[in-house]
Amino acid sequence: MDPIKEVKFEREFEAPIQKVWQAWTDPEQLKKWWGPNDVTIPECEVDLKVGGKIRIVMEASEAMGEYAGTRWPMEATFTAVEEPTKLAYEAKAWTEGMEATTTIETVQELTLTEENGKTKLYLTAAIHKAGPDAGMAVQGMQYGYAQQFDKLAEYLK
Amino acid sequence: MVEYTFPLDNIFAALADPTRRDILQRVREGELSVSDIAEPYDMSLAAISKHLKLLEKARLITKRKQGKERLVSVNVQGLADADEYLQQYKELWEQRLDSLSDYLANN
Repeated sequence: MDPIKEVKFEREFEAPIQKVWQAWTDPEQLKKWWGPNDVTIPECEVDLKVGGKIRIVMEASEAMGEYAGTRWPMEATFTAVEEPTKLAYEAKAWTEGMEATTTIETVQELTLTEENGKTKLYLTAAIHKAGPDAGMAVQGMQYGYAQQFDKLAEYLK
Repeated sequence: MVEYTFPLDNIFAALADPTRRDILQRVREGELSVSDIAEPYDMSLAAISKHLKLLEKARLITKRKQGKERLVSVNVQGLADADEYLQQYKELWEQRLDSLSDYLANN
């Protein structure tokens, strides 16, 4: 663990392992949860094998205000595919049109384990390279999520 | 919107190397002379100087002279920028995982 350049996550889902695996590897399902509500996913392709590619493009809708129309592609190559417990990939993500300055390169590893019908997820993401303006893409996507949670809070009132 | 003080590319390029990350961790614990820094590594002083230059360029460390010694300490601002970015990146994933959790609960 290298806290300077790596982030780690641990989550438990009320769902069997196969369902979590499917949500993470089936493009139709990925489209439904990967991005914030106000972001569409016009492109999502998954070639699920070692050496295969995953490509997800997020596009900010009109509701995203100043970010409307911005596209954030992510492309990755699988380095491990062990259904339904392990997925690893080397990923590159950027803001379209600003690839040279916003690209971030990461190595991500996902591990799933099931117990009593619940699934534990462990995710590590190590940042290997970042463009000088890599912070912009993260901020744009966060803006989308922030709006999404505002909406949820509004709904729950 | 967060304004980063420094561009992120130099920071993450500097952090890409395990020796440089190790040096940074040690300097974070307190100011060290260049020779103190070099001591544990099986490396020429020139090689260590090169690592220090990259850390300095990324504004993760600063150097000052005291007599004949050059003393190295952490540059809090550069490190804060790296932390800020990691924190934002982490939040993005937390939100994405919340979204996955909702999806799994409703499908």
